[in-house]
Amino acid sequence: MTENATVELPIEDQAPQVVPLNAVFADDFVQILVPVTTADTVREVAAAVAHHVEGKRVRALPYEKVVFHNGRRLPPEMTVAEAGIAPLDHVRVEYDIPKGKS
Amino acid sequence: MTLLKREEWQHFVRDVDWTFRYVDDEAVFPEWHSGTGKVPREAWLSWEENYKVTYPEYVATQREKEASAYAVKAALQRSTAFDNLDEGWKSSTKMHFGGVALVEYAAVLGELKMARFGLNGAWRNMATFGQLDELRHAQITTFFGHEFVGKDPQYDWTQKTFHTNDWVPIALRNLFDNMMISPNVVDLAIELPFTFETGFTNLQFVALSADALESGDVNFANMISSIQTDEARHSQQGGPTMEILVEHDPVRAQWVIDRSFWGSARAFAALTGPAMDYYTPLEHRKQSYREFMEEWIIDQFIHTIEDYGLKKPWFWDEFMRGLDTWHHGLHMGLWYWRPTLWWRPKAGVSKDEREWLQEKYPNWEKVYGGKWDTMIDNINANNVEATLPETLPWLCSMCHLPACNATQSRDGTWRVRDWSLSYGGKTYHFCTNACRQIWWKDRDNVNHETLIDRFLAGQIQPMDVGGILNYMGMTPDVMGDDPDYAAWTKDYTGRPATGLALSTAKGDQS
Repeated sequence: MTENATVELPIEDQAPQVVPLNAVFADDFVQILVPVTTADTVREVAAAVAHHVEGKRVRALPYEKVVFHNGRRLPPEMTVAEAGIAPLDHVRVEYDIPKGKS
Repeated sequence: MTLLKREEWQHFVRDVDWTFRYVDDEAVFPEWHSGTGKVPREAWLSWEENYKVTYPEYVATQREKEASAYAVKAALQRSTAFDNLDEGWKSSTKMHFGGVALVEYAAVLGELKMARFGLNGAWRNMATFGQLDELRHAQITTFFGHEFVGKDPQYDWTQKTFHTNDWVPIALRNLFDNMMISPNVVDLAIELPFTFETGFTNLQFVALSADALESGDVNFANMISSIQTDEARHSQQGGPTMEILVEHDPVRAQWVIDRSFWGSARAFAALTGPAMDYYTPLEHRKQSYREFMEEWIIDQFIHTIEDYGLKKPWFWDEFMRGLDTWHHGLHMGLWYWRPTLWWRPKAGVSKDEREWLQEKYPNWEKVYGGKWDTMIDNINANNVEATLPETLPWLCSMCHLPACNATQSRDGTWRVRDWSLSYGGKTYHFCTNACRQIWWKDRDNVNHETLIDRFLAGQIQPMDVGGILNYMGMTPDVMGDDPDYAAWTKDYTGRPATGLALSTAKGDQS
């Protein structure tokens, strides 16, 4: 839970807030603006970022996608609010490529 | 009547400083405009330009230049020269006309500021000629661009660009307002005549002129050559100012030159880099952008700063590495966000063109090839839609250009890294380490809001691509598109392609 969360309601009961992110997908050439919400899961964040890039500028690979935030790999089921991802934060989405493959 | 020789009278008219009796010096030359700082006021008495000119000489020479430039234009207007130019080259000129015409007008204001607040009469005299030069440049650029409006409405942006909130002029306004409008005249003389005009305009006006001639655009080459001859004269305001500033405050001199060099390098990477390495037809390219930069900017810049006892800027290694990446990333960004441009950016990545790029930039295929291949395969699969934007690129809070500079990791992979900082409760993102550092040192200066800032603040409505294009002043008749998709995709038709976005269901991948 973030320090900014209100005390009245548990985080899962609060209305989702828009969280605009600075995001980059794998080896794409540019950071992009991607809006998500506090209620989105990390998996949904990965999909939202990938939507703008995967198969368009970066060829899609058959692997799970993972999200890194402040150097930390986030669990896919965690929500944006739970992960402490704040507006204007930077996230990086990478393919979870098994070792030995490239 | 016998006329005096020039050398017998010129010193009276070029140096008209006198002692004020009714006001103090600070009232006439206030610090916030004149900016003497740690330099003793009397030190400016030694300011002297190398090449002296009188008003009659100035007028006679300028008249000749104007007559010559307009005579060539008039002759070519009757020919079909324009119609035979390659669209790639035409787009280089559209970008130049829109990006430069009103910057020349901003330079009028900068020169006028020096003409009023310069700390030596000779300097003010030189700046007076300088502002006449810049007025001529604003006029000739606007007029030459205007000729083509009837043939192609994108040329209308010659005059329109700086009146819009398109992201390109926002970036240029931020750079040039900091260089010409907001600084005191000492900093202005270091930033504009010394750094920008002595160095960078060579690239745009001499090197691009060579490409213009190769491309058969005699009219454009003629126009920018005419402009460059003025630069050589009024840019000399920088040298004498630098000599005095370095002697009394070398730290300030170093900082001002460093920050203006960096800002100029970023802007040129965005505008001149793609024009030279992608838009100019392959057979007409004289040198790569990197080679031009090395020959025209870097060697001269290093010699110049060493002559003044200054050091290479602290960002030098980052800048040099960027010569292999910045303009390639920016080109891809300009192309992908092409509906936001007032020109038709050609991708310029056919097999032959890629061979040339790879030869000039040995990491090109590794860093950019795969992404262009994915876009090529989408186009060949009739899915141009997948190569059009649905969101904004992140724009650097300092240079306002997309954050698109890949750097190499120790493991050999190339990634765009995050350079950010938090200040006043807000997170700012930058394209490079040096942009972040300059912003931090300059954070109390005027910095325009980026398009991202404006979008997130709700200034752009509706908050979608249509709303953004409308905010930028972009209309369907002008909106940029690739002039010839087949020209660079036909080499790759029929090859197997995997991992592409599906055209019928956005967001799903095959």
